[in-house]
Amino acid sequence: MSLLRRPGLLLSAAVTLTVPGVLAALAVLGHEHAAFEARSEAVSLGSSAPPASMPVESLSAAAVPAKPAAGSAAIQKVAAEMEKISGVHAAAFGAAVNPQQALGMRLLSKSAAAGLTTSYQGVELIAQSGVDGAVTMISDVWHQGRGLTVTQTSDAGMVSSSQPYVSYDVDNHSPEGVFGVTKTLVALLGKHYAAAYRGTGVALGRPALVVELDRANGSLAARFWLDRQTLVPLRRDVYDTSARLVSEDAFVQVQFGALTAPPAGAAAASASAPARSAWSKVTVPASLLAQVNGQGWRLPGALPGGLSLYAAAQGKTSAGEVADLGYSDGLSVISLFVQRGTLAPKMSGWQAVNVSGHLVYVAGHSITWAGRGLVYTMIADAPPQTVQAVVAALPGNTAPGFLVRIGRGLDRLATLVNPFR
Amino acid sequence: MSHLGEQISALVDGELNGAELDRANAHLATCEQCRAEAAELRQLKRELRALAAPPAAGKADGHASPAEAADALTRRLLAMAGPGGPVPSRGLRREQHARDRHHGKLPRGGRPPRGRTGMRASERPPADGQPYSRRRPGGTSGETRRRGRYMLWSAVSIVVVGIGAAAFSMGGSTAEPGPKITPQLEMFSVEHALTFGDVPFPDPTQVPAGATKP
Repeated sequence: MSLLRRPGLLLSAAVTLTVPGVLAALAVLGHEHAAFEARSEAVSLGSSAPPASMPVESLSAAAVPAKPAAGSAAIQKVAAEMEKISGVHAAAFGAAVNPQQALGMRLLSKSAAAGLTTSYQGVELIAQSGVDGAVTMISDVWHQGRGLTVTQTSDAGMVSSSQPYVSYDVDNHSPEGVFGVTKTLVALLGKHYAAAYRGTGVALGRPALVVELDRANGSLAARFWLDRQTLVPLRRDVYDTSARLVSEDAFVQVQFGALTAPPAGAAAASASAPARSAWSKVTVPASLLAQVNGQGWRLPGALPGGLSLYAAAQGKTSAGEVADLGYSDGLSVISLFVQRGTLAPKMSGWQAVNVSGHLVYVAGHSITWAGRGLVYTMIADAPPQTVQAVVAALPGNTAPGFLVRIGRGLDRLATLVNPFR
Repeated sequence: MSHLGEQISALVDGELNGAELDRANAHLATCEQCRAEAAELRQLKRELRALAAPPAAGKADGHASPAEAADALTRRLLAMAGPGGPVPSRGLRREQHARDRHHGKLPRGGRPPRGRTGMRASERPPADGQPYSRRRPGGTSGETRRRGRYMLWSAVSIVVVGIGAAAFSMGGSTAEPGPKITPQLEMFSVEHALTFGDVPFPDPTQVPAGATKP
């Protein structure tokens, strides 16, 4: 008793009790922050120009900008030419519609159809600005008109897919297309962008028709080079709202018509039932959304950037059911895969990045994170700003506030010392 | 004529008798100075009694014995000394205990509180199970209370800080139920490609056999 009365001893008792606790807290915090901030410095989320590693220069040489198609005489001439090429009757669009816009949308629709019906083979280069730097992929594509498609993609020569990916467009309804130019997406484009024919150009040494997409405010969103002969897209450039080039997809080598034999391994890959069988498409996407939200998942019907729910499917993985929700505005596309659970403690091959205050893991143009008992995996073909906004709009594993953390800790302490549990 | 001098206090205290008393009274009848002095002394004595009166006033006979009055006066003076004041001497404490037992405040077999050397009276274990300070107004009870409060607050803050730190460190990581998931990117990318007409891409987190990252 008399010992305790001494202030010095009291002080040391307090320090002895408190310091280990505070050190433990700091250790835990420090560990979390290390992971959280591991790459925050290296990442400049859309705040700078596309990284230098993006092969803008090399590709640009292949595509010659459009010669302006201004003036009604030129339009008439092109319209007549288009009529000859593709059977589109430009005159039928009506005088009320800007002929350039009517022609632009029509050309994109035709292009989507051409991507399915035309036989082609070649090499595609896909370069995008992701939230964690540039993503570059090279894909060998082999497509038989109205039939088999074989693609084999490698991640900028580093990682190659283990086997060719084979798909059939048996019912002619599969949305397969080139550079995202598909029938359904082109139909969706019209709601968000104004497509306009901008004249002729050259891509990959081939004569091309140039179509531009403008946003409602008049800024350029994307530019397409469509092969003049077949209307298959040869190249697509996408710009963000700050007029920065955020994505460019192009054929670096292409051949139309006569095909060589399918790539080796295609038959084997075809036989080994592609992963598609793991998915069952939901015809009314909103119904799947309503179903999972009925289980308390709280997923949105639309994402920031004007991306609306476009497609949905359900899949099965070893870790349980996965809901796939596809959102798009016709140009940007985002697939959101949601499943119950938490992320594995070790995410090998993934980079921990801080996006919009969320700790996420990035691999290529895939982003995954956990929040409120669900794991979200997002595959995005969209400007980094859109990706950031989407991550911010969804539940994430933000670091808990001080009081929340204390409360949770007290809960666990109580559970630990509870003799009746 | 000589005055009474020191005999006045003996007279006032009632300690004179016989011839001394008669002589003193005769002198007082003639000497105004000694009468005034005696009156003053009596007045002082009354006032001293009045100070000690309250405990004694409750007594049935209405008279407080001089011993009781003195005891009460001592206690009151000690109370006036306040916290941190003089500690009653051992002798005084013994006397007081004896008086307490005499007045029936302690059980007959009760032993006087005996403490270790250096221990204060206020901390002695009370013999009758009652807190000592309750029975003894004054003394060091104020100081004791303050020390007690100080110790209590120290203990409470140590416990609160300790539990808080433990809770903070335990509340860090989220341990949510559900399977631990590593996204199956290849499967997802194929589905993404089919939905949007892109080319499927390889899972960058998986390095197939034979392929090495530079």
